Amino acid sequence: MSTVIEQIEQQIAKLSTKAVRKNTGVIRTVADGVAKIDGLSDVMYNEMVQFPGGVIGIALNLETDEVGCVVLGDVSNLKEGDEVQTTGKLLSVPVGKALLGRVVDALGNPVDGKGPLGATETYPVERIAPGIMARKSVNQPLFTGIMAIDSMIPIGRGQRELIIGDRGTGKTTIAVDTIINQAKINRVGLASGNPKFRPVYSIYVAIGQKNANIVRTIGALEAAGALEFTVIVGAPAADNAANQYIAPYSGAAIGEWFMENGMDALIVYDDLSKHAVAYRQISLILKRPSGREAYPGDVFYLHSRLLERAARLDGKGSLTALPIIETLAGDVSAYIPTNVISITDGQIFLETDLFNQGIRPAVSVGLSVSRVGSSAQIKATKQVGGKLKGELAQFRELAAFAQFGSDLDAKTKAQLDRGGRIVELFKQPAFSPIPIEQQVVTLWAIQKGYYDGLDLKKVNAASVSIRDFFATRKDELLTEIRNKAALDKDLEAKIEAAMNEWKPTFAA
Amino acid sequence: MASGKKQINQLARQLFKLSFVNGSLSGEQVAGVLAYLEKHAPAKPLAVLIAYRRLIVAEAAKSVAVVEHAGPVGEATLQAIASAMTARYQRPVTVSAKPASSLLAGLRVRIGDDVYESSAAGQLAALSASV
Repeated sequence: MSTVIEQIEQQIAKLSTKAVRKNTGVIRTVADGVAKIDGLSDVMYNEMVQFPGGVIGIALNLETDEVGCVVLGDVSNLKEGDEVQTTGKLLSVPVGKALLGRVVDALGNPVDGKGPLGATETYPVERIAPGIMARKSVNQPLFTGIMAIDSMIPIGRGQRELIIGDRGTGKTTIAVDTIINQAKINRVGLASGNPKFRPVYSIYVAIGQKNANIVRTIGALEAAGALEFTVIVGAPAADNAANQYIAPYSGAAIGEWFMENGMDALIVYDDLSKHAVAYRQISLILKRPSGREAYPGDVFYLHSRLLERAARLDGKGSLTALPIIETLAGDVSAYIPTNVISITDGQIFLETDLFNQGIRPAVSVGLSVSRVGSSAQIKATKQVGGKLKGELAQFRELAAFAQFGSDLDAKTKAQLDRGGRIVELFKQPAFSPIPIEQQVVTLWAIQKGYYDGLDLKKVNAASVSIRDFFATRKDELLTEIRNKAALDKDLEAKIEAAMNEWKPTFAA
Repeated sequence: MASGKKQINQLARQLFKLSFVNGSLSGEQVAGVLAYLEKHAPAKPLAVLIAYRRLIVAEAAKSVAVVEHAGPVGEATLQAIASAMTARYQRPVTVSAKPASSLLAGLRVRIGDDVYESSAAGQLAALSASV
């Protein structure tokens, strides 16, 4: 026993005499969340520095005789002359499944009042995106539950699909619908006991949003039972610009943990326009040279290094990114929108006019595209919805011409009629994603002309009725469609029989 | 003429470079720089002098190890610190002792931007930060 005590005492003696070297500096100025520091001669770029009172910062500008740091926390207690220390560490956030169902700030601290996170691992906030060899092409679908998107602009796991549109056009709703749909699929998949089933965990990053909006989003996720599969990273409008700048990178680090550990994750950046604005603010205070629209020269790299972190990795998992960009008066040719459009693998463009006409989700078929998602689309959706995008685009063109003349030939009239029905069919209320097998049945019905005899206003009601009928009475058939993921003659015959059974139940 | 902040800092750095002889700060050179500034005053001379002083103070701090101590410190300990710092930084380092009861026990040596913490207060702070 005495030798053990001696060993401990030796250890204590070693510790108590050990001098710790720290590199320090002194605050020269603090303004708008940015501190200029004298000293810190050993600090590295992006290194975390320690301010008094437990406040941390990141060294962003290493100049000849001063260091520019963004302060991630309360700057009100910092003053000129305070000592700052280097830490030798990069900024890290807690990661892991312990974060699911939790709301954290940009630094990974819980803000939901549910106690400590209990996470055992941390990941650096800034990481280099996976290289070429580590990646695998996108070929697994990620269903949004929104019929217009899953059939015409499909998204695959590991893809970066931009959601773009003016304010109040339903951008966040599409993202939240997608998260809710992942939770629904997860629940069904996990209950099925299928060992090959891969759940998708979601991360929602709110940047520069009003607190009330974040609360509403959390409420919607909670009501739909999706919060338990979701991590919320919040840097609201009241947070300083530094936290808003760092939040998407923190979210990406949380998502990367799932990807690196063989799981699939979805991350929503809501929104990157405000992120660019926060970065512009920091850059201007740091006196970095400004360029177009006063954004700094590296604003492209700001988003490209973030979005490149979304990938599908060979032998591991995937991280799908849905960045959101807000446009002004539908101008997609502005600086930040064009930057992000060029980085992503496609975009879902939402139009104010469509939204005001009651066409919701207000997806503009002509301007929306998915560059890699079609290879991830299941065969059944391709079979029933392959021609829809072309038909709808043709309809929009014809509808514009039809406004000027009344004499239309029978073929044009038929095309207009069909287009109108497709538009009605794609109307979908918020927070009600539709399972892919129900989408297949709904679209199969339009291909076979089941809505043709109906009044235009009743098309949507008919599609809802079909889905209800199948969900309540043909569950086995839906399961078969889901499992086979392709329509063969036998399956089509079964759908036809079920549709004929449904027809008399719907009062047209 | 040095009028902008950037130009003031640039001029101060140029004057700072002129203050060295064989890689070390020279009192004579500094006096020369000051005399030159008095004769040929730049625009905003006060700002230039403040910037110049800041650079000189930072440089001078690299050659002086300030030893803060809670209890008594012997001359031998101070000499040992001076020789250890001289060897470590490869330049002559002098020692200046400064009593600091807030350390509770032990020493804290400050040289330039570097702080060597071996005090009870420092260890307690590190402990409370890690909890």
